[in-house]
Amino acid sequence: MSPHTKLLASMSLLLGTIITTSSNHWMMAWTGLEINTLAIIPLISKSHHPRAIEATIKYFLVQAAASALLLFSSMINAWSSGQWDIPQMNHPMPCLLMTTAIAMKLGLVPFHFWFPEVLQGTSLITALLLSTLMKLPPLTLLLLTSHSLNPTLLTIMAISSTALGGWMGLNQTQTRKILAFSSISHLGWMTIILLYYPKLTLLTFYLYTMMTAAVFLTLNTTKTLSLKTMMTAWTKAPMLNTTLMLTLLSLAGLPPLTGFLPKWLILQELTNQELTPLATATAMLSLLGLFFYLRLAYHSTITLPPNSTTHMNLWHTNNPTNTIIASLTSTSTLLLPLSPMILASI
Amino acid sequence: MPFLHLSFYSTFTLSALGLAFHRTHLVSALLCLESMMLAMYVALSAWPVTTQTSSSTLMPMLMLAFSACEAGTGLAMLVASTRTHGSDHLHNLNLLQC
Repeated sequence: MSPHTKLLASMSLLLGTIITTSSNHWMMAWTGLEINTLAIIPLISKSHHPRAIEATIKYFLVQAAASALLLFSSMINAWSSGQWDIPQMNHPMPCLLMTTAIAMKLGLVPFHFWFPEVLQGTSLITALLLSTLMKLPPLTLLLLTSHSLNPTLLTIMAISSTALGGWMGLNQTQTRKILAFSSISHLGWMTIILLYYPKLTLLTFYLYTMMTAAVFLTLNTTKTLSLKTMMTAWTKAPMLNTTLMLTLLSLAGLPPLTGFLPKWLILQELTNQELTPLATATAMLSLLGLFFYLRLAYHSTITLPPNSTTHMNLWHTNNPTNTIIASLTSTSTLLLPLSPMILASI
Repeated sequence: MPFLHLSFYSTFTLSALGLAFHRTHLVSALLCLESMMLAMYVALSAWPVTTQTSSSTLMPMLMLAFSACEAGTGLAMLVASTRTHGSDHLHNLNLLQC
C-alpha cells in the first residue's frame, strides 16, 4: 500500500474519531462515523486477499446500515422535538432505534455476527484498530445518550453479550476470533454498568484498550494466528511468553492484575443498586471467557510442543520488540494498587 | 401524521428491510442502501422548508456528499468481490466461517 494512502487513511481515522467525540449535533456525529467507516475500508482490504475483501464487504454493509439507522432515528427525534442536540433525545421510538443503531456499530449481541468474521479477515494491527479505536466514537455516543436509551434492551444486550462472548469463544482455534469474542464480552461488561455509573464504562473501555493492545501487539511480534502456531512461538521472543500469559490473565479479570479492577467496581456498583442477581449472572458468565484465556495462556506459555526433542525449533532471530509492548504490558498487569487514584481521576 | 412523514417512514423501512433480507446479489443490498440514503435526503431537505431555518440547508448537502462516497465505496467492493470470488453472489462469501 502506498505511503500516501496509508497516511490519508490514518489521518482520516483520527479526524473522524475527533469529529464524533467532539460533536453536539447529530449530523456531525454521523459525519464522523461515516469518515471512520470510509477510512478504515482501505486498511481492511489492504492485502487484496479474498478473505480480506469478504471482511471488508461485511464490515461496510453493517456499518453503513447502522449509520443510516442512526441518522433516521435522529431525524424522527428532530421531527418530534424540534432540535438535533445529542444529549436531548426524548421520545421512546427514536431512543429504541438509536440503541439498536449504536449496538450495531459496537457489536453488541444480537448484532455481533459481523465482528468475529471481520476480525478474522484482517491483519493483526488492523484488528487492533477495529477493536479499540473504532469503538471509541459509538461508545461516546452511547455515553452521551445513556439516560435516554431503552434500559431493558440495553440490559438484555449486555447480559447476552457477556454470555455469547464467552460461549462462542470456546470452540475457536484462531487467535483473532478469540480476541473478537473477548471484545464482545468486554463490551457486555461496559454496557451493563452504563445506566448506573457511566464513569465505570469509560474506565472499563480504557483498561480494555490497554490490555487488548498489549495482547495484539505481542501476537503481532510473534505472528501467531492460531493455537497451533502459539506452541512454537516462544522461540521468537522468549520474554514475551511470560508477559503474554500475564496480560491474558489480566484480560480475564484475575485478581492481582489490572483487569480485575473494572470487574470489581462494576460488581460493587451493581450490588449497591440492588441488582445482585444481575451481578452474579455477569460474573458467572465471564468464567467462560476465563476458560479460553487460560487455554491461550496454556498453549503459549505452560507447554512445550509434545515432540520437543525431535521437533526443529524456530530460529531465535534477534528482532527487537518495540517498547510500546513493554509499557502496555506493564500497565495492563500492574495497575491494580493504583485503583484509588484511577477512580479519583476519571 | 403528515404525508411527508408517512412517505419517509415507509420508504426508509422498506429499504431497510430490503437491505436486511437481500438474497442473492450484493448489488441489491447496495441499491437498498442508496434508497435509504435517498429517503434521508428528501426528509432532510424538507426540514429547512418546514422550520424556516435556512441555515440547516447545509445538512442535506453534507449527507449527500457522504452517501455518494459510500456508494462509490460499495461499488468498489462489488468490483473487488467479483475479482476475488468470481461473482457478487452473497452465498459465496463463506471463507471466514466460525
